Amino acid sequence: MSKSKEELLKALAEAVVEYDEDACKELSQEVLDNPNTLTPMEAVMNGLAAGMEEVGRLYDTHEYFVPEVLMCADALYAGLGILRPHIPKAEAGVNAQVVIGSIQGDVHDIGKNLVKMMFDVAGWGVHDLGRDVPLEQFVEKQLDTNSEVVAMSAMMTTTMLGMKKVIAMIKEKNPECLIMLGGAPVTKDVANLFGADGYADSAGNAVSEGIKMIGRLREFQASKK
Amino acid sequence: MAKQMLLDAYRGKRTEYAPWVPYAGVHCAHIINEPADKFLQDPEIMAKGIVATAKRYKADGIPLLFDLSVEANSVGCDLKWWPDNVPSVTTHPCSNKTPKEAGLKLPTKDSGRWPVLFKAAKIVKPQLEDLDCAMIGGFCGPLTLGAHLAGVRLFTDVYKHKEFAAEVCKFAGEIGARAAEFYAEMGCDIIASIDPVASQIRPATFREYVTPNSQAAIKIIHDAGITSSFFICGDATKVMDEVCQIGTHGFAIDEQMNMNFIRDLARKYGVGFGGNLKLTLALSLGLLSPREDAIVSLAAGGQHGYTFAPG
Repeated sequence: MSKSKEELLKALAEAVVEYDEDACKELSQEVLDNPNTLTPMEAVMNGLAAGMEEVGRLYDTHEYFVPEVLMCADALYAGLGILRPHIPKAEAGVNAQVVIGSIQGDVHDIGKNLVKMMFDVAGWGVHDLGRDVPLEQFVEKQLDTNSEVVAMSAMMTTTMLGMKKVIAMIKEKNPECLIMLGGAPVTKDVANLFGADGYADSAGNAVSEGIKMIGRLREFQASKK
Repeated sequence: MAKQMLLDAYRGKRTEYAPWVPYAGVHCAHIINEPADKFLQDPEIMAKGIVATAKRYKADGIPLLFDLSVEANSVGCDLKWWPDNVPSVTTHPCSNKTPKEAGLKLPTKDSGRWPVLFKAAKIVKPQLEDLDCAMIGGFCGPLTLGAHLAGVRLFTDVYKHKEFAAEVCKFAGEIGARAAEFYAEMGCDIIASIDPVASQIRPATFREYVTPNSQAAIKIIHDAGITSSFFICGDATKVMDEVCQIGTHGFAIDEQMNMNFIRDLARKYGVGFGGNLKLTLALSLGLLSPREDAIVSLAAGGQHGYTFAPG
């Protein structure tokens, strides 16, 4: 007997939490094989992403560590690869783009890749510049793509200081672009000091922070009309 | 300056006051107006910066350098250099091969930047002796060095491909032991294994990959009669019992840790502990008053096995 909607969502979330790539693939295929049970978009948002939210909680409470989180991400991507091609464009979440990268001098990209994954899940257009990204490249890519958000990460105190320069350059050319910062040394106070619009202390918070920022941008644009 | 007091604190003993170590790193280059990349590759400039920094901050001990790329570079990892930072490791020879398959060999005194360090230490050591300041050698610990060798995959390989992860970390531990030998020969008074990313794994994973692969280096340090330490970064709360039991005389932690918790744990295990003046919030950005932050750290640390230092 096929699973109910609730059972399928729960199983998808559990497969992510238990970093079971095979189960994620099988369950995602089951979603496609039973189109009347739930849509691929529901499966992504309320199954895979819900599982990742629980992973974030387990990381915060020190029950999961970096290896577990990375394996959960692998499981999520295994499911996402099957489901995403079947999500109609109109349904594909937030119609927005983000430029993302680890700042110049920083070759650490574990955190950046987790944040990228959460943007992927939420249906954003993601322009990943990779790691050790020259400061000017964030500005150029934002202008080329007219992305609503630029997200930067730094794992080292020294490289973190480059973020302030990027924010100033971007805000000068496009004051409406929203900037999100993340990474081990970055606190909310640091983000405020540098003039950022958002701050993510974990991968799980980045998307909700980004969506809130998009809402603020739209309010801002509406107020100008 | 008070070298003996620092050695006592590192070994968990009571001291008249808390000794002080600025983990200055490439800040030593800034002190003498030189770029970091030049400082790290020129023994005369390196020595000049270290001694100037020790004098400037009236240090009881100072690291010869704080650069975790030395060991990786000495076995073949490529580096990208920066004028204001330590170099980044850009290639990972074990990204799809074991160290043996990749043909990696243990470093000699002529590998990579080791000759620069030997020359710098020869200039620095007598000058620090005159200042009654300890010379500290720090080498890259097995998990961080393993991640340099294999890349991010090592973090999932500790579950998915355990034999591969074990082989990489074992080789990293052997490199660390060789580095400890070099630092002992240079005349370091304290030698530390620095394994920042070891805070990002479970206690069981720490016991499986970090603890055993740190033992050869610790034995070399102790057999030479030298004081040992283990440095870890980030929120290491969950692995602190493992850190205390790794076998070094003490440990150092960073700004994310609660000093009261750390102090109590260090005293329970009878080891020294150091930290945790806030490098980001107080020293770099001034969001907290460095003076108040220092008072908080000193009050929490006390005078029993405690070394005041940035974290």
